[in-house]
Amino acid sequence: MTDIRRADVLDPEAPDTADPRIVVIDRDGEHHRLDWEPDQSLMEVLRDNGLPILASCGGTASCATCHVFLDPRVTAELGERCEDEQELLEETESFDTARSRLSCQVERSTALDGITVTLAPEE
Amino acid sequence: MSDKPVIIIGSGHAGVQAAARLAELRWDGGIVLVDQEETAPYERPPLSKEMLKSADPTALSLLRKDTFYRDNNIERISGRPVRTIDRAARQIELAGGVRHSYHRLIIATGSTPRRLDVPGADLPGVHTLSSHADALALQKALTAGSRVTIVGAGYIGLEVAAAAAARGCDVTIVEFRDRVLSRVTSEIVSRHFESLHRSNGARFVFGAGVRAFEGDGRVQRVVTSDGTSLDTDIVVVGVGVVPNQQLAADAGIACDDGILVNPHCQTSDPEVYAIGDVARCLRDGEPRGQRLESVQNAVAQAITATNHVVSQSCEVKTEVPWFWTVQHGTRLQTAGLRHESDDIVVRGSALAGKFSVLYLREGRLAAIDTVDALKDFVPAKKLIAAGAALDPARAADPSIKLAQSQTDIAQ
Ligand SMILES: Cc1cc2nc3c(=O)[nH]c(=O)nc-3n(C[C@H](O)[C@H](O)[C@H](O)COP(=O)(O)OP(=O)(O)OC[C@H]3O[C@@H](n4cnc5c(N)ncnc54)[C@H](O)[C@@H]3O)c2cc1C
Ligand code: FES
Repeated sequence: MTDIRRADVLDPEAPDTADPRIVVIDRDGEHHRLDWEPDQSLMEVLRDNGLPILASCGGTASCATCHVFLDPRVTAELGERCEDEQELLEETESFDTARSRLSCQVERSTALDGITVTLAPEE
Repeated sequence: MSDKPVIIIGSGHAGVQAAARLAELRWDGGIVLVDQEETAPYERPPLSKEMLKSADPTALSLLRKDTFYRDNNIERISGRPVRTIDRAARQIELAGGVRHSYHRLIIATGSTPRRLDVPGADLPGVHTLSSHADALALQKALTAGSRVTIVGAGYIGLEVAAAAAARGCDVTIVEFRDRVLSRVTSEIVSRHFESLHRSNGARFVFGAGVRAFEGDGRVQRVVTSDGTSLDTDIVVVGVGVVPNQQLAADAGIACDDGILVNPHCQTSDPEVYAIGDVARCLRDGEPRGQRLESVQNAVAQAITATNHVVSQSCEVKTEVPWFWTVQHGTRLQTAGLRHESDDIVVRGSALAGKFSVLYLREGRLAAIDTVDALKDFVPAKKLIAAGAALDPARAADPSIKLAQSQTDIAQ
């Protein structure tokens, strides 16, 4: 899956918008700058912008197909993973204690403006 | 640009995934998504879970945000059922007579709740649950103190039972078989969920079917097959689904409890594909093939079919089938397909409320149920896909990682 249609490849000249923005690194190493709209979880930002995550459980921490890596400082700030999230994540091959999150469990907040999100490999 | 339109009938889990995947693959011949429902395409699992639990009409969980379709040049036609497929002319006809030409057609019409063919089945107060409109109606009907009779202890029936109990209703569940979830799981898991519902106030009537629904203007009684009459305010029937295949059958496409498809999801007409709940996939070695009703299957088949449409790619999206259900906060996740004759290994303790049941076929892991033991789910899916042989004694010990209970058998 290499083609990404919607997510614009990072453009430093892109105009500012009111919604927080994040940078997403896909599995081919390409960078995308995306807006994070109100009421979206991080998973929804990725999915709705056509990034190749399955998110097949619709965001109920049941499938682990929305696995991403965040900066360890961001992860620390997000607080503890809930039990389901922890149990699903720690059994994935690419689990990283400091950086792994289920993107469907990450809610929007201004504190997350500008973060870099890296898609974990497909299981 | 739109010289080779792919028309998708049905914008549920399968149809929307197919449209999104075509956009991702840069299909520029035109993508048209038709649905009979007016609403923007939405998720079905929350309809029987989060949505029923509260009295407030919660917003839909959309499958994609509403600007997604326009942004990706996906043309949506909503509120309009497809009435006929004209294969000779390569056209579909919508209600009202408008015709659209297709280059390829993908049928993703899903399924409809099975109706009980008994007197009174049409009485007001008798519900089924499959669409957002159904969920809204049921949400309104579940008022505290009302007597709710659920027919069928499958996962929809039980999810509704849990939501109704949480809303303060008085819940009775009538089930033809002698245990809950009998179609999808083993006795031990069934009994666990039965006691979960009992401890939340539900009553069960096992081994009984429904003879009639009675009432004056609206349902007031459920008469079971042994003649017992249960007073009730509302009824929810959850006795399985039937595939929406009529459209295909009328067009002369081969059907047999589902639209028959090959592993690429092509029907007996190679220009027409079928995916999701409506499709029955025929593979070598399976006499009748398989029809699966789950989000996972809908998504996987959508990817398989669209890969084939775009590039004739024979790459089949293989994923171990799985689904989940949540009742009274307890989560059951199932992966793989169980047979009645499989050997059973219990991992962990049902009494402690956290356990998995492994299904071994000739020593190999064929399926698993995890009950609030999500830890086993991801590794089990991989072991099932690999056809791994497990040592039952090690697999039963939750202190040993599941992956480490594999036996090396030289073949
Ligand atoms: C209440 C509920 C809870 C569920 N919970 C879970 C769960 O927890 N986990 C899980 O894995 N699965 C669950 N499922 C099953 C899952 O939702 C289905 O397997 C999945 O939706 C199938 O996708 P589909 O696209 O084939 O069909 P659907 O999602 O049903 O979509 C079919 C669409 O086609 C439309 N349509 C039909 N005929 C026509 C026509 N002639 N013209 C135009 N449009 C038409 C319908 O209106 C519908 O919108 C649940 C289902 C329900 C109803
Ligand atoms: S979408 Fe399934 S776990 Fe996040």
